[in-house]
Amino acid sequence: MANRSEQRIAILFVLPAVALVAIFRMFPLAWGFLLSFTSGDGAGGAKFVGLDNYRALTTDAAFHDSLINTLILLATLPIWVMLPLLLAILIHQGVPGGKLFRAVYFFPAVLSAVIIGSIFNVVLRYDGSLNAALKSVGIEAVDWLGQGATALACLIAVQLWATFGMSVLIFMAGLSTVSSELVEAARLDGAKPAQIWWHVILPAMRPILEFVAVVTTIGVLTSMFGLIYVLTAGGPGTATTLPEFLIWMEQGKMNRPGYAAAISMVLFVGMAGLAYVQIRIMSRNANA
Amino acid sequence: MKTLVTAALLAATALPAFATELTVWDWKSGDPLAAPYYQKAKEVFEAAHPGDTVTFVMQPNDQYYTLLGTALASIGGPDLFLLNGGAQARARFENAVKLDDKIGDMKADLAGLPEFSDANGVYAIPLTIQGFVVYYNKALYSAAGLDPNVPPKSWDDLSKICAAFVTQGTVPCIALGNKEGFGMEFWFSTIAASLWTPQEQVDFAAGKLAWISPQVLAVLQSWVDANAAGWFPKGANSTAKFMDEYEGFMRGESANTIGLISDVAHWKSFDEMLGAENVGVFLLPAPGGAAAKIPAAGGIGYAVNAKSPNVDLAVEFAKTLAAPEVLQVFFNAAGAVTANTKMDTSAVTSPAAKTVFGWLATDVVPMAHTNATAQELEEIHRQSQLLLNGETTVAEAAAAMDVVAKAARQ
Repeated sequence: MANRSEQRIAILFVLPAVALVAIFRMFPLAWGFLLSFTSGDGAGGAKFVGLDNYRALTTDAAFHDSLINTLILLATLPIWVMLPLLLAILIHQGVPGGKLFRAVYFFPAVLSAVIIGSIFNVVLRYDGSLNAALKSVGIEAVDWLGQGATALACLIAVQLWATFGMSVLIFMAGLSTVSSELVEAARLDGAKPAQIWWHVILPAMRPILEFVAVVTTIGVLTSMFGLIYVLTAGGPGTATTLPEFLIWMEQGKMNRPGYAAAISMVLFVGMAGLAYVQIRIMSRNANA
Repeated sequence: MKTLVTAALLAATALPAFATELTVWDWKSGDPLAAPYYQKAKEVFEAAHPGDTVTFVMQPNDQYYTLLGTALASIGGPDLFLLNGGAQARARFENAVKLDDKIGDMKADLAGLPEFSDANGVYAIPLTIQGFVVYYNKALYSAAGLDPNVPPKSWDDLSKICAAFVTQGTVPCIALGNKEGFGMEFWFSTIAASLWTPQEQVDFAAGKLAWISPQVLAVLQSWVDANAAGWFPKGANSTAKFMDEYEGFMRGESANTIGLISDVAHWKSFDEMLGAENVGVFLLPAPGGAAAKIPAAGGIGYAVNAKSPNVDLAVEFAKTLAAPEVLQVFFNAAGAVTANTKMDTSAVTSPAAKTVFGWLATDVVPMAHTNATAQELEEIHRQSQLLLNGETTVAEAAAAMDVVAKAARQ
């Protein structure tokens, strides 16, 4: 009887969390999945169209471009991970002004994407401060945000600037957990600083590196909307259009929630794949 | 006497029980320039309908149609909702009350009805007329050695004027913000207005005039040619039309700008910043086109929710919003060119406004871009940016447009 009573209490404790997940996560997901098979126009006029939305995606040039942009973004992942690691190492080594640098690096992480976008809009626009500086030294101005060759690179650079501070903090927290006895033992055995870093500290940091890599990957794929909206509006052409921005365009501007839901499902599958990789990596490390 | 007093007391106490609250959705009522108009409409309506009240709910402009779609799909949506004329309005006619038999007393006074109607009837009452004209800075014309009182009447005239500004190198000839692709919308409709025949306008609206057709190619080519000739400023693809382009024009940083006739980015704003005597206006000529014409259409209007439990009262309020004495406040405060032709505009002193009103009485043609689908508009935004950058050709852009148009108009 006592066990059954405890089970009931346990269920009661779990129920709110399950209800929240079911209502705010699973139900919208299921709703979106069903919507992706309709010609939903946002006004209640949805008709079942089977796989038409998914078939349309195969010939949608804007969607294809957004996937290519995503791959370019993912190709820059090493920079997103190694740059914060390098800076964290420098601060950890006790460079002068380390605390100041730590605060300065983290500061952009507390700013909203709209504020960051507005700031860099002033900097990067054709008559902005960057071009003014270039002109002052005789270099011709560039339309950084208005040309396909530079717009995506600028967007990535700004997002990196805005978010790397968080990774620096995570790496610093990781560095502080590396056993000082292990480092001291290596030093006594005659290891040089570079060898200590490569053979002792970095292996100990591996779970942190993997965590930052996965979290950063998911972050850049799902949190750049605000920056794109303010800085480039997805252009020029589709040069800075990512799937999440395309979803908003289809839903909000073109009144095609069914089609937007289909893109969302594709993005969801991609993200689920990354989450699966993350779980596998974590499990492997836990079992190692 | 006692009976009368009792009846009056009963009526007074019973009145609130029958009071109705109308909910009105828009994206403008919080705008300081539009607020006096909405207040006036509310006062007039509530005075005429004691006990009934009106509540305006202003939604964010960039998410308005997403939120409206959700609200209209539910039971408790607004009684009235604001719409842009053209494609956005037509997409929501199925949620709106057909108004033909309810606005018979004012229909003849309203301009801009086609943008709020289909073959079945009228589904929204237009408030304003919107259109595109070119405003120019007379002081900059003088500084470039041009006669500020002789605006261009042909493409050749415009070419000579822009060549003067290009040679001078001080300010660009035509301001352009195309970050969201809106610069192309304005260019497209103004050039098409002068270039296309009425039948070609009808064919384009019906999707029968392909983007690869010579008529549409000519419009796209004029965009490329103007850019190649140096008429537009550099950095147009990273400049927002609203309001970076217009703020630049008002600071005297460009000679001409394709602006609106109503509400914002128009004669009233420019008069206030540049001085009415310094603001000129002309209709954009097209290469090889006939006499330039003004592209104009119904701007914004109110529809009544078909699910509203208060349809008759909502129609009454929509009519109040479109009444001349109420719209007069909108016109006075914001310079909105209203759809009700009975409104008095005689007090206007702006030379540019007087010229625009004169055109509205004679040369109006459709705004071609409002007859494109939302998907076509989005794609032309993208293609226009690529054309400015030289990353595509006119033929390639038109072919891409036809692919999108075919899918969108299925």
